[in-house]
Amino acid sequence: MRAENINPFIESVAETFESMLECSVEAGDPVLNEDAEGTPDIIGVIGLSGTAQGIVALKLPVKTALAVIGKMIGVEIRGIDSSIIDGVGELVNIIAGNAKAKFEGHAISLSLPTVVRGSIYKLTNLSNTVWLTVPFESPLGEFSLSVCFKQAVQQEKEAVHASVNSR
Amino acid sequence: MQVLIVDDSQIMRKIITGALKKLGVNDILEASNGQEAIDTLGKDGNIGLVLMDWNMPTMTGIDAVKKIRLSNNKVPVVMVTTEAEKEKVIEAIKSGANDYLIKPFNPKDIQAKLEKFLQACAK
Repeated sequence: MRAENINPFIESVAETFESMLECSVEAGDPVLNEDAEGTPDIIGVIGLSGTAQGIVALKLPVKTALAVIGKMIGVEIRGIDSSIIDGVGELVNIIAGNAKAKFEGHAISLSLPTVVRGSIYKLTNLSNTVWLTVPFESPLGEFSLSVCFKQAVQQEKEAVHASVNSR
Repeated sequence: MQVLIVDDSQIMRKIITGALKKLGVNDILEASNGQEAIDTLGKDGNIGLVLMDWNMPTMTGIDAVKKIRLSNNKVPVVMVTTEAEKEKVIEAIKSGANDYLIKPFNPKDIQAKLEKFLQACAK
């Protein structure tokens, strides 16, 4: 994954929080890892396909998820219920959808989001990619976004070009 | 006016419902996918505006819009979606959508935009 490909996702997180939650976020330094592991409690996952392929995973501790989704609908939520699960799915959907529109010249489709609960997990990346994880701080709590991404068509063209040139 | 909100996200339906109620619209129906929207429109002839998500299970919003127009139903449809690319907006309008609202949106912005749509529908 090229480092610049993470920027649309960072911008999208900031725009989504700013517009839907009226809340600013501060992005930390991206961390590169082969498999995403950690101890968040709720993870919203969505797939990208088309001229670029990837996975976007929004990871929220329970406390942050309660604050974020509560703010989204304007009510205090005290425990994990269907609205939290649904809300985290919608949030990752909006973040990924907003980010994909920033990749000009690409036709990228989104899968339907999936939400996972748990603190012991391992997200396996696509082949030939690594996870880039960006930690975020916000007044609603900390969270992170992990992305693995590859530009399928361009990479294939580059590979064919390199193969032809090496003959 | 009766408004039909079509979105597979319960949270998004709640957010849009809240914005509509602040505008004095209390006659609100909900559907969680395109097929449910078509079924609801078939049963209820009083719906004056449809707010339609794009990506949903069972039937997408864009397929539902095409079916609604094929059935000669002229109810105004506003796409409310994360699909922000110009090509998608053009596809939606060509398929019969009347307007387009891109997520993410500010709660105040959606109220202002819904007010505009409601006024246009009332004419």
